[in-house]
Amino acid sequence: MMLPLALAAGCSHRGEADAESALYKRFSALPETAVAQVCGFALCDTVSVDVVLLQAESDAAWEHLKEMLAVDDTTGVTSWLGDTEEPATRAKWDGQPKLRVVASHAKRAVGLYRLDDERQYDALLDYQMWKMERKEL
Amino acid sequence: MTTFDKKWEHEEQQGLLQRLRGERGTWAKRRRTQRTVLATVAVLAVAAVPLIDYSMAADKRYDGVVCNRSGIADSHWADVAGHILTVKSYEL
Repeated sequence: MMLPLALAAGCSHRGEADAESALYKRFSALPETAVAQVCGFALCDTVSVDVVLLQAESDAAWEHLKEMLAVDDTTGVTSWLGDTEEPATRAKWDGQPKLRVVASHAKRAVGLYRLDDERQYDALLDYQMWKMERKEL
Repeated sequence: MTTFDKKWEHEEQQGLLQRLRGERGTWAKRRRTQRTVLATVAVLAVAAVPLIDYSMAADKRYDGVVCNRSGIADSHWADVAGHILTVKSYEL
């Protein structure tokens, strides 16, 4: 029986920096795709999130990833709030754990940022805005 | 001034000089010790600079990384996690 992803958050939630989450396990066997789980990625001094990163190592693998996660076939970056158990499913914030999914065509990479509460969601948006504002055009 | 007075004055001067010499010696010794301590601290500080891992001390951005590939530095993944969050949509 598959363990629901929401119940198997992994790493920092259990105080273990190297515990593999169900999300990581689900993607780690994908062919030609480097998969990593960054535990406790710091968004600011007090808030961190767990991230699963998928990086395609070939065009075919990237096409497969895009299809699997229903990524728009555009250039640049696509992002959405996804369901924890089915990241391809677009969702709205309802106070329950969600994934912020960001797909970068340039890097052929997808980041799945696990948001367990509003504090993490706020910190993630703050992080994005703060960094983007300071980037040179 | 009598001979006695002269001798008395001489002895007084000698005593004063002796006290001053003693004080000066003690002071010089303290100064030497201070300089030695300061020099030792400076040398140790300079020698320790390359030994300090600034990346770990000041910029620890994650708790740990698990990966299905070997040979990729953990910091690479932290960089990717930060980078794709902040790529503007028009950046290719």
